[in-house]
Amino acid sequence: MDSRVFIYVGMFGSGKTELSINTAIALRKSSNKVALIDIDIISPYFRSRDEKAFLENLNIKVITAPERYMLADLPIIPPEVGGYISNKEFLTVVDVGGNEDGAIVLGSLNHFLQNADKKIVFVVNVFRPFSSTEEEISRNIDKISRAARCRIDYLVNNSNIGPETTTNDIKTGEEIVLRVSKMTGIPVAFTSIDENIDYKGELPIFRMKRFMKNSW
Amino acid sequence: MKMLMKGTEAIAEAAIRAGCRLYFGYPITPQSELTEYMAKRMPEVKGVFLQSESEVATVNMLYGAACTGKRVMTSTSSPGFSLMQEGISYMAGAELPAVFINVMRGGPGLGDIQPSQSDYFQSTKGGGHGDYRMIVLAPHTLQEAANIMGEAFDLAFKYRMLVTILVDGMIGQMMEPVELPEWKNIEELKEPDWALTGAKGRKPRKVTSFDLDPYELEKMNLRYQATYKRVAENEVRYEEFKIEDADIIVVAYGTMARIVKTVADSARKEGIRVGLFRPITLWPFPYERLSKISQNVKHILTVEMSYGQMIEDVKLAVNGKTNVDFYGRSAGVVPTPMEVLEAIKKIAR
Repeated sequence: MDSRVFIYVGMFGSGKTELSINTAIALRKSSNKVALIDIDIISPYFRSRDEKAFLENLNIKVITAPERYMLADLPIIPPEVGGYISNKEFLTVVDVGGNEDGAIVLGSLNHFLQNADKKIVFVVNVFRPFSSTEEEISRNIDKISRAARCRIDYLVNNSNIGPETTTNDIKTGEEIVLRVSKMTGIPVAFTSIDENIDYKGELPIFRMKRFMKNSW
Repeated sequence: MKMLMKGTEAIAEAAIRAGCRLYFGYPITPQSELTEYMAKRMPEVKGVFLQSESEVATVNMLYGAACTGKRVMTSTSSPGFSLMQEGISYMAGAELPAVFINVMRGGPGLGDIQPSQSDYFQSTKGGGHGDYRMIVLAPHTLQEAANIMGEAFDLAFKYRMLVTILVDGMIGQMMEPVELPEWKNIEELKEPDWALTGAKGRKPRKVTSFDLDPYELEKMNLRYQATYKRVAENEVRYEEFKIEDADIIVVAYGTMARIVKTVADSARKEGIRVGLFRPITLWPFPYERLSKISQNVKHILTVEMSYGQMIEDVKLAVNGKTNVDFYGRSAGVVPTPMEVLEAIKKIAR
């Protein structure tokens, strides 16, 4: 998946934020200039911006609502977003809010996106509501791609049930996502798994550290 | 098969599986996903989803729908629950069964969108006017929240009472694996003998909270009180965690109970024997049981995401038999396990 801008879209709760944070950290290994854009206007808790201090410590630029409005229940898209999508010096990850309502934001950034070297990646967790069959998933792809006014370039299998995920679950997800790929013609980039799980399937593996967790 | 769900989604799906086909609501953070889930799901199960223009309208739609004897519900968050109180009082007076979900956020006033447990008084002591009670259930995991939905409807119909599921924003927003409950066959749900279904061929029925004659109105009130007494005698639920050898018992519910379970283990590693008493029914509160177990401990510590609401019931239960301390943060701040452990160490000294 070669690109300068990586944009994660998908249904609500499919794992876009975890993927965005982990992708930004992975990109940081090969570049000094990495930005993570949080334009999630859907989730009230558990967002990329919650890890702002940690990411900035790794020298990853986090673009989100201004500090004083970070906890506001408001859909804030700061003006720098367009800049970091366009800036050729930066490798940029974009964490988009869930469902078509979240993807609408991308539609409004269309004039920046058109000329950017970008990949739009659709994240799938088959253990989430309204996402368990090929039909449901391809319908979601269609809806989100229309709201975002963008073609989806890749699918990602992020199927998991949190800490209780088994390799069998990941395999089930992989099978369904591959069938969706066949139906839609959209290739699958990889399967993402928790760093503590050992799994080898048909697809490349992206190991992730989990960030969105509770204090207890 | 387990699903990875948000608390709001798990509650919504479990309600549908428990036979709810009538949902009325108005979006408010941090529970809007529940309303959204119902909007998507109700048409799939041939149910009704109706977004009202306000919470005041919602509760009155619920009042009307509940009169038909069907399983009805709504969901909201703190400021929205405040707006519903007048209707809640009317529904309690009309002895209507219905389920309310309150995903609490901070307060008083607007209260932003972070989790809180500051609506304990409002839910358990009656936020509306008049001598009424509602059953208040407080699950602490998403699985428990899903499991409790069927019971919530069963209790509502058994006693003709309102039931509130009281959770904080954290339970509403976090994601956990959930095994969804079995589907209830709605064809098998009996139509209550008070339901307003059209009086053709039978005597008309009446659902009301009112009588012009004060003596008749008193009779109605005495009937409500008798119901509440039966509920208090039969429907108390709680969980005990490592209390057998405990020197300190922490009383907590919802998210705070989860934090305390973790803290109890770390306290024990440091030689402080801590147990947890977790009321599942906040009303009826488990006074009797807490009174009994408080006799053998040095301290009771109440931990809440409020500045001290449930502690009043804890004190009534303990009734001076031992020390009752308090630790709490509110306004959207969730106490960390470290902070709770510090509070425990302070009283253990």
